[in-house]
Amino acid sequence: MPQPIYMDHAATTPVRDEVRAAMEPFYGPRFGNPSSTHRWGRDARAALDEARERLARCLGATPGEVFFTSGGTEGDNLAILGAWHALRATGRTAVVTSPIEHKAILAAAHYAAHEGATERLLAVTHDGVVERASFDTLVRSDVAVCSIMWVNNEIGVVQSIPDLAGEAKARGVLFHTDAVQAFGKIVIDAQCQPFDMLTMSGHKIGAPKGIGAIFIRRGTPYEPLLHGGSQNFGVRPGTENVAAAVGLARAAELAVAERDEEMHRLGELRDRLQAELLARIPDAVVHSAGAPRAPHVLNISVPGTDSESMLMALDLAGIACSSGSACQSGSVDPSHVLAAIGVPRELAIAAVRLSLGALTTPEGVERVAQVFPALVAKSRRLAGALA
Amino acid sequence: MRERVVVAMSGGVDSSVAAATLVRQGFDVIGVTMKLFCYGADVPDRPCCSLDSINDARRVCESLGVPHYVLNLESAFGRDVVQNFVTEYAAGRTPIPCVRCNTFTKFRDLLHRAHALDARWIATGHYARVINGELYRGHDHDKDQSYFLWGIDRSVVRQMLLPVGEHTKARTRQVAHELGLEGVAEKVESQDICFVPDGDHAKVIAKHLGADTPALARGAFVDSSGRIAGMHTGYARFTIGQRRGLPGGYAQPMYVIAIRPDAREVVIGPREELLGRGVMARDLNWLVDVPPAVGAHVQVQVRHRASAAPAEIVRLDDDSIELALDEPVSAITPGQSLVLYDGDRVLGGALIDSSRAARSALPVLAA
Repeated sequence: MPQPIYMDHAATTPVRDEVRAAMEPFYGPRFGNPSSTHRWGRDARAALDEARERLARCLGATPGEVFFTSGGTEGDNLAILGAWHALRATGRTAVVTSPIEHKAILAAAHYAAHEGATERLLAVTHDGVVERASFDTLVRSDVAVCSIMWVNNEIGVVQSIPDLAGEAKARGVLFHTDAVQAFGKIVIDAQCQPFDMLTMSGHKIGAPKGIGAIFIRRGTPYEPLLHGGSQNFGVRPGTENVAAAVGLARAAELAVAERDEEMHRLGELRDRLQAELLARIPDAVVHSAGAPRAPHVLNISVPGTDSESMLMALDLAGIACSSGSACQSGSVDPSHVLAAIGVPRELAIAAVRLSLGALTTPEGVERVAQVFPALVAKSRRLAGALA
Repeated sequence: MRERVVVAMSGGVDSSVAAATLVRQGFDVIGVTMKLFCYGADVPDRPCCSLDSINDARRVCESLGVPHYVLNLESAFGRDVVQNFVTEYAAGRTPIPCVRCNTFTKFRDLLHRAHALDARWIATGHYARVINGELYRGHDHDKDQSYFLWGIDRSVVRQMLLPVGEHTKARTRQVAHELGLEGVAEKVESQDICFVPDGDHAKVIAKHLGADTPALARGAFVDSSGRIAGMHTGYARFTIGQRRGLPGGYAQPMYVIAIRPDAREVVIGPREELLGRGVMARDLNWLVDVPPAVGAHVQVQVRHRASAAPAEIVRLDDDSIELALDEPVSAITPGQSLVLYDGDRVLGGALIDSSRAARSALPVLAA
């Protein structure tokens, strides 16, 4: 079999060499606990402070607005539940999200509803864009927090977060954005973009799994989820993962520095892949094709196939990609995102997400453009024989 | 080029040993666990979606160094197996869902997926054997599972590998230890139907048909003379030959001898009324290229773990068959399977429709 091709960067990315090198000393001589007063502690503290500063610069934030977390799920929970807990006594008792959010947001909102909040879901277009009219109707003065994903992890649709955040601000509503897929792809600048909270994750940008960060604008009301020491200013107590925080800062700097060039490169490759797949499979459907999309995501359904079989066949042919969302068991369930944007079930169960990134080359794209249609043809032939 | 085989892995010792054996024999093995149903919140002590089994199967594949996938066949299984299970009970019959799972889910739907993966073979942990493209009883007759396999398409038999069919269960466990499959080697065998976790099939019926379904409603016990002998709480709770839950006060032990769903009656009678000498069955499926004809003498098995009984084919068409039994057989149950054997060789099978007390006769040929 030829060299396997990794086309699942929206799931996770390899840790970059520069990141690993930056983290290395903290698994060795610089092992101290940043809360300790002695020299080991001070050394670790210095590294942690510096990492926070560097990450803050990447976000247009001040260091006091950036808190390290374990990743996207924690950031999303902290944003929704932290804001709801802080505001529920003030009469702001609604939580507004979109139906195409990550499960971490949807489940957190659901949990808030279990605690008494009102859960509201924004309407989205068939391309997954949040409908402005719905936003205007639902985001009212009784809302504690509104959370909208910047770049959708399944279909890549980009929301106009700066505008929506500004609108929310005008209504006194806290605004959070899950930017896990957006960081390094979209220009993010807390100085001129009025979101109150933003969640990011390390392993999508070449840092390790288990580290992420949340931006919380100064003055934003929130209650911590975890209770303990004063680390991370009490927002997120627990001894900091210094090595991973350093790695996250390094990965973030690299991603921001390379953003324009890399997005241009990936956009061209994605468009070429999309064009070749559509040329060879004329009835294939590209989801969210009519909306602004991040350049690294291509979500495509071929009528008469199913994701489960396609993913297995692609894997056995050495091509790694995924469908919408994987169930805990590892089996594929139809994506809630595709359902929410009105994709018919028979297309939704056929969805395959190809996501490009650091490991993607023109040769790899070309091979996927050859192999994918061949597997589709076989799958359809078998389905036809069975019918 | 190594030949590719998809192994249906339940996470149990049999399919794990099957997979390991095939890896050892040099096959290109792909492990697949089918996700067939969800207990949901009904069974709190078991994780949802049979996660334990899936994890066990995955760990075995990891240790064998072969890929493992989970296939969600819930909707097809629900339609072909669970739904049928419920309607059969409602019709007063006693279904065997494992037969339909083999026929439709494993050896049709899964096989189709296997073909899509370029697999030449499909393998399971069944105790049965394939010899020259024909199906045989498992070497260990105590464990033999060929009874459950009669419904599969004949052409599929030639694509089946059943590596543990040569073993006794004890030998399978021993092989599991030899191959280092310690996680599953001593796993306890489940006697339950997989989607009826606590053995309470009435609960499944109620869930699908509603608690007020006639199948679970009060009805009469009657004896064969028509006398009402008491009341029961739903004919679907009974099967032919059952003694438990019957009214007492009889001089001899009483058994369920028939179920009449339209009247919601459960008919009871003494042991001799349970005996049948003729059996009619439908959905006939042959697993041999040259099936026997009317007048042929075969062995038949009318339930799992019953011994084979000699019989003669007295009527036959494309879909149904009637046999005359040499000696009477007890508790021939509509909905169970009738499997025809020639020694260990499986000739075919059918779904039991009814039985008759008198021995059916061959039609008299016009002189």
